[in-house]
Amino acid sequence: MKLRHFLSFSLLPVLGLSAAETAAPAAVDGFHYVKTVGGISEYTLEANGLDVLVLPEHSAPVVTFMVTYHVGSRNEVTGTTGATHLLEHLMFKGTPNFNRAKGNSVDQLLERVGAVYNATTWLDRTNYFANLGREHLEDYIAIEADRMRNLWLRESDRRPEMTVVRNEFEIGENNPIQALDKEIYASAYVAQPYHHSTIGWRSDIENVPIEKLRAFYDVFYWPDNATVTIIGDVDPAAALGLVKKYYGAIPKAPKPIPAIYTEEPAQSGPRRVTVKRAGQLGVVGIAYKIPSGRHSDTAALNVLGAILTSGKNSRLYRALTDKNLTTGVSADVGFFHDPSLAIIYASLAPGAKHADVEKITIDEVERLKSGGVTAAEVSSAVNQLLASSAYARDGAFAIASNLNEYIAVGDWTLYVTIDDAIKKVTAEDVKRVANTYLLEDQSTTGWFIPVLPPEAPAPVPVQPAK
Amino acid sequence: MNLSLSAFRPRLSALCLVSAVCLLGAVAHAQIAANIVRARISGIDVIAYQTGVRDVVTFRGSLPAGDSLAPPNNLAIPTLVGGMLDKGTTTEDKFAIAQKLDAVGAELSFAVDSTTVTFSGKCLRKDMPLVIGLLAEQLRSPAFSEEEFAKLKKQTAGSLQRALENTGYRAGQAFAEAVYPPGHPNYIPTTEAFLAALDTATVADLRAFHAKYYGPAALTVVAVGDLDVEDLKAEIAKAFAGWTGGVAKPVYPKATPTDADRDQSVFMPDKPNVSVIIGQTSGLKYSDPDAISLRIATTILGSGFTGRLMATVRDKEGLTYGIGSKLTNDTFADGDWRIVANFAPSLLEQGLASTRRELKAWYEQGVTPAELARTKTNLSGSFKVSLATTDGLANAILATVHRGYDLSWLDEYPQKLDAVTLDQVNAAIKKHLNPDNMVLIKAGTVPTAAK
Repeated sequence: MKLRHFLSFSLLPVLGLSAAETAAPAAVDGFHYVKTVGGISEYTLEANGLDVLVLPEHSAPVVTFMVTYHVGSRNEVTGTTGATHLLEHLMFKGTPNFNRAKGNSVDQLLERVGAVYNATTWLDRTNYFANLGREHLEDYIAIEADRMRNLWLRESDRRPEMTVVRNEFEIGENNPIQALDKEIYASAYVAQPYHHSTIGWRSDIENVPIEKLRAFYDVFYWPDNATVTIIGDVDPAAALGLVKKYYGAIPKAPKPIPAIYTEEPAQSGPRRVTVKRAGQLGVVGIAYKIPSGRHSDTAALNVLGAILTSGKNSRLYRALTDKNLTTGVSADVGFFHDPSLAIIYASLAPGAKHADVEKITIDEVERLKSGGVTAAEVSSAVNQLLASSAYARDGAFAIASNLNEYIAVGDWTLYVTIDDAIKKVTAEDVKRVANTYLLEDQSTTGWFIPVLPPEAPAPVPVQPAK
Repeated sequence: MNLSLSAFRPRLSALCLVSAVCLLGAVAHAQIAANIVRARISGIDVIAYQTGVRDVVTFRGSLPAGDSLAPPNNLAIPTLVGGMLDKGTTTEDKFAIAQKLDAVGAELSFAVDSTTVTFSGKCLRKDMPLVIGLLAEQLRSPAFSEEEFAKLKKQTAGSLQRALENTGYRAGQAFAEAVYPPGHPNYIPTTEAFLAALDTATVADLRAFHAKYYGPAALTVVAVGDLDVEDLKAEIAKAFAGWTGGVAKPVYPKATPTDADRDQSVFMPDKPNVSVIIGQTSGLKYSDPDAISLRIATTILGSGFTGRLMATVRDKEGLTYGIGSKLTNDTFADGDWRIVANFAPSLLEQGLASTRRELKAWYEQGVTPAELARTKTNLSGSFKVSLATTDGLANAILATVHRGYDLSWLDEYPQKLDAVTLDQVNAAIKKHLNPDNMVLIKAGTVPTAAK
């Protein structure tokens, strides 16, 4: 059950606060205080609309600083698929102020001080982060703020980075299940941009011109399209002062950030896809349309997913894995800004047939829809999710990386309140959401069928390396 | 046979600039060893460390019962014994055990590697007695039911077959087979050999292995997090009372040279990325005196974005998404040194040429004082960051024990790094490595092998 990691992290037990409780805000000239929930205080930089979240945590002299841009692969169109991610890579190529030749690039600074840092791109957002000693925070903020608007974005950087990203695409293509997953989403979504994966189509990765990447950067990389998060050993007023010092001079976006108006048309019947490639064992994936992560049914959908696939007592483990029909089962419950998919994956054991595994899976889903679940099943699933919540508070960086997904989904306060929502899920809720969303006419079923070549080519002896 | 039983990765996992460093936290701890409580309880080496985290307890531990201890007639036995630990005990079946854990969201799992069976657990503070009780029950009294054994054989065969789809796994397997002789703990038997052993294994074999190797003699239990140390000791004393047996940690002989082909391809159709390994045995255990110098040198060559390989082969030339170098498999026995890389088939030869160019320059010219200084602060800082979480601390403590160090090593490591000189680093490269005799493995749709 992968998605519980996105759904069950709460700060309330850490801080001993209720969601309604508020801490006294830091008073810093130039910031508008918005609210405090679960110990996290939200501010807006008045000069340019930059959103800032601050959570002081003083157990160690370390701080996580993260900037989340509200742009992901959902903002791409044909010809620019993968551009968000390619741009994320190019963000490390330098600016006139900070670059490798000067010896002060982001890589050079952060590796020298032993920071953990990186950047990631997903459907709804792009984030850049570092986890480092508090004494290095100002240096990192300076670089992060500088590259918001001053990136070089040179063709001479795009060319070698394109092949780097293409190799990342190729590594993903090596995995037949990832290939199946792309096809399921591409079939389930025909209009809405979740249709294509974040890595993009190969031809777009290879050919998107630097001018389009520049245009993408100039549309989306502005302070009023970003959220800064600071968690760790900081004084909130001092941290806000640094944010103001380095981000304060950056203007607002000159034009409104474009809204996505494309909606997925209603699906009017079941869909099927098949991927045939060289491989060893088959996979069956059954995807169902589910609402946005902000929807009130999200908690119940995750409990449902856990009951179906989490642990040896889950229904599909007992029906499939324990009978040696699968080597594993899982449910990926989408947690995204827009409606997405919950996908049940069943990975076939040697000798098992796709049709048999698909039928048993659907039979179990229908049995759950008609007969419901027991209170004991709900209790066990809820406790698993809540324990995961506690486990995921293990370090400032873990908190930041999970909070990032709630920022992306469009309401960071869900990060604080989701545990309470999970606690309230009842057996009736689980049955109701199963009957609301696990519908055949809203499903997309995918099979990965391994194909063994008629005769594998014999390796040709090669000369010993020089 | 260390196989992941997870069949696939989640869809759409966020794309990282480089994926390996996406999940760390950070805490810098002062004087770790002074705050650790270590005691021998019921014959077990118990190590407890209370941290400031709220409500979470993380467990790690091991005992020597890995694949290298397999009986001569069946190499699959240690893996199968480890696989049966969570399939029910003499007092309750696997579903009952899972229900107890699931009901409180606790986790407890077992894995077998070449030298040890390891366990990993996590629970809320209040559930520590439950997890310790189940750990003892599962280690001491597996049911070894015939029905579960038959299922496990099929699951293991399935997992093994699925692993054959993975270019990285195939490259690693071929590399180990090429550089280590059979009998060395880091040698990986062929899939065919393992499947054949799986077929002939019996429950009687499993019981005999369990009786011989499972016991407190060299069992280590590490617990980190929000715990009461005295309560932990009491629970362990209760749960493991009266258990005897086990064996001391084995001492392994050094690997002897092999005459394997130095350039091998594992052809796999429909794989647009080729996994590459270039390397050799190092002749060094982690704790050998030269190892720290060679680790620093290896970091300079191939760690992080500013390492030479990433800075040139990736950043400058755009030939790969990921390339790096490391010393590995050296905890209990002498291990290996390797470069690991990914290349598209069309860029494979160019990528290999660039990699060899960087390797040659590093080997022949050594590293610079500036690189050494930067790498010392990097390794020292990242070591502290790795101790950020209960998982990181528990892993580090267990690794320290496995490597044969006193726990004070956790505090002394930064000073040990600092004491290494440029001459030591450059001498270690020359002394222990020989690029002319390294093995090259390519796994995927390798152009030269596909005719």
